[in-house]
Amino acid sequence: MHRFVLLLATTLAAVVAPSAATAADPAEIALTIEENRFQPEEVRVKAGAPFVLVVTNRDKTAEEFESRELRIEKVIPPGKTVRLRVPALKAGTYPFVGEYHEKTAKGRIIAE
Amino acid sequence: MAATFVVTLREGFEAALLLGIVYACLDRFGARDHYRWVTLGGALGLVASILMGIAVTLLSGPLLDLGPDLVAAAVIFAAVGLLTWHGWWMSRHAQALRGDVQRRVAEAEATRRLSVLGLIAFTGVFREGAETVLFLWGLVSQTAEGASWDRLAGGALGIATAAVLGWAVFHGGTRLSVRHFFTVTSVVLLLVAAGLFSTGLGKLQGLGFLPPADAFWDTSFLLSDRGLVGGFATGLVGYRARPTLIEITGYALYLVVASALFFGGRRATGPR
Repeated sequence: MHRFVLLLATTLAAVVAPSAATAADPAEIALTIEENRFQPEEVRVKAGAPFVLVVTNRDKTAEEFESRELRIEKVIPPGKTVRLRVPALKAGTYPFVGEYHEKTAKGRIIAE
Repeated sequence: MAATFVVTLREGFEAALLLGIVYACLDRFGARDHYRWVTLGGALGLVASILMGIAVTLLSGPLLDLGPDLVAAAVIFAAVGLLTWHGWWMSRHAQALRGDVQRRVAEAEATRRLSVLGLIAFTGVFREGAETVLFLWGLVSQTAEGASWDRLAGGALGIATAAVLGWAVFHGGTRLSVRHFFTVTSVVLLLVAAGLFSTGLGKLQGLGFLPPADAFWDTSFLLSDRGLVGGFATGLVGYRARPTLIEITGYALYLVVASALFFGGRRATGPR
């Protein structure tokens, strides 16, 4: 029993401690790929603050999140979620595409 | 169809170029019986790409967030190292290979060193391989689910075209005189490796291992690196429409250092 409580406590600590530390961590912005399109297609972020793009691919095929401007090239397998850390950006527009469906999968990050 | 064609052609071109060069090198060294090293390297690169593609679809969490990128960055810098070594090796042995004893010297060296060409073939194929495998797999599954054939046909045609270009590089290379072959190959290797080096630095910037920066200039209105021509320019000379200062500096530094390695020693070993 004691051992169980101890285990529970350490597990809780392990789960809570990192999330407590996340208070100052970068903002997370969710992005979904569905039917070879990004949703939303326009993301607004604060300039000068790093953030994390949490990209989920709901399609049955892989997609590659690519932004030459951000130097990110990341394959997202079907049904998977990938967290992309983006450094602090200067104000401006940063386009991105799904490389495998460039015609439809297009979006932009607007830092302001 | 055109869109998938461009994607696979762009990704396959660099691998095909490197394969064409290393096969041609072996031919010019008079070491055709070492083709198997290159074939083996290329085949292992393909196997590794497929395994990586499978791994990526199985992974999740932080391992998926960072793992494939670290492997990709490692492969890029390994390729730069191998190409640099090869260029330097060629410059050192160019004189001997050109002379009367060309065949014999080449044979002797070949048995010891030419397996490195297999490693170049491996990194060349593995570099973009996993992405291309996943992309093609997506096209196959879409087609199996009733999508029209032309997207898959475009992707397959892109790979085939890249292969033909690689073969053209090989064929062209073997027709050059040994002297011209060394010069041309050294220059091409120099540019490809410089491009790879700056791509690797850009990747480290994207991953946050190097400080991020804005584009130092923007030539995308002249030549977009997303199109067909821009894609070739990227594979051949490392063209970037919007490079960062770190990428530009890395490219220039690599050119200076590797030029000294590839061409600097030539005067010393020149005819006396």
